[in-house]
Amino acid sequence: MIKKILSLTAVLLLVAALCGCEEQSKYPKPTDEFFVNDYAGVISDTDKNEIYSRCVALYDKTKAQTVVVTVEDLNGEEPADYALGLGREWGVGNEEDNSGIVVLLSTGDREVYIAIGEGLEGALPDSKTGRILDRYGMEYFKADEYSKGLLNVTKALINEVYIEFGIEAEDGYVPIDSIPETGVAESYGGKVAVSWVLLIIVVILYLLFFRKKFGFIFFGGPRGPGGFGGFHGGFGGGSFRGSGGFSSGRGGFGGGGFSGGGGSFGGGGAGRGF
Amino acid sequence: MKKKSLIIIVAVIAVIVVIIAALGGTYNSFVSKQEEVTAAQSAISTQLQRRADLIPNFVETVKGYSDYEQSTYTAVTEARSAVSKASSVEEQQAADDELNRAISIWVNAVTEAYPDLKANEQYIALTDELAGTENRIAQARKDYNAVAKEYNVSIKKVPKNILASVFGFDAADYFEASDSAEDVPQVSFE
Repeated sequence: MIKKILSLTAVLLLVAALCGCEEQSKYPKPTDEFFVNDYAGVISDTDKNEIYSRCVALYDKTKAQTVVVTVEDLNGEEPADYALGLGREWGVGNEEDNSGIVVLLSTGDREVYIAIGEGLEGALPDSKTGRILDRYGMEYFKADEYSKGLLNVTKALINEVYIEFGIEAEDGYVPIDSIPETGVAESYGGKVAVSWVLLIIVVILYLLFFRKKFGFIFFGGPRGPGGFGGFHGGFGGGSFRGSGGFSSGRGGFGGGGFSGGGGSFGGGGAGRGF
Repeated sequence: MKKKSLIIIVAVIAVIVVIIAALGGTYNSFVSKQEEVTAAQSAISTQLQRRADLIPNFVETVKGYSDYEQSTYTAVTEARSAVSKASSVEEQQAADDELNRAISIWVNAVTEAYPDLKANEQYIALTDELAGTENRIAQARKDYNAVAKEYNVSIKKVPKNILASVFGFDAADYFEASDSAEDVPQVSFE
């Protein structure tokens, strides 16, 4: 009997371990500071505090979240994929606005990448993001002055978000002019948003229609809870472009600090090798 | 006796109602999953079109340089119009692969002929937009595959597969990265 219990426990533990392995993420967990995650240990304490307090101020004013992450290497992943995957997993940004920014720097790969949440693609199109890197970061990154570069880049990004939200940017900040001829980012960002809204409306109308017309026939009688469950489960469980499905970070971490708001990323951003 | 048959009838009706409710639920879950697949697919098309639309801007930028490698550019215009004309998923993907290849050949030819172009702010901006669009396309495809998989699994599992075939829910195709899709124009900023 005891043997049986022991072997059963062993099997259960094994299963639990296997499940654990499957769920193990390729991205590190956010630190308690959430906005500054210096895994490579390259940001000075002064700069860390300044980045952190600026990110907190931004969050308080706009609910947008800027997260700075340094790592020693990307485990062979592309910088763009890594930044996006991490942003989705942590749920960086507000869920309604998808207003998240991930500033990722890998010292080993000598790569820097800024991933922009879908809601901020209008304020920070790829070209502008690239220009921020060129203007505020590259000379420092090339000289291995990561701390200074990251601080400057983060400051610029935050100021651009303030401008987007109609809040006054920091004194002396010169806005990066988006190049008018490109103009593509804004119009397409809008189109995507509209198509999502349309889809949601269509699905809701569809559900309403079905419930009204057939509600009494299908569900009016002795209600089978099992059968009915599938009806809602199919709708609520589906993730709209990762905004629900990938935001496992929401509220899960951060003993007393901040955590992700469930923002989603669609692949916008820009990066540089240095 | 009469009472008994009444009970039987009520029981049969109840069973039928429960079955219909279950069928309705399954059917509706198919529909919403299928809608997600369609939406994910249109997200890809939007990004493909976005890239096709970026190209004229690119040309405008490069035009300042006397001859912008007309010979290699012809392939780009042809591939570009093929993307806009494509109607099916396969056609669109094939056209997009072709466009990808054409762009990278053209961009390389141009930057080789005019190295100082790499310092042109407008050129850098467009390269960033192009690379970002590339990311979005890749991501939109991954997202599409994820919802397509969810949908396919749901219509292929027993016993739902019977319902799915009765109502004509077909499996969604997956996107597979082709070799040429990896040939994103690479520009180094030295």
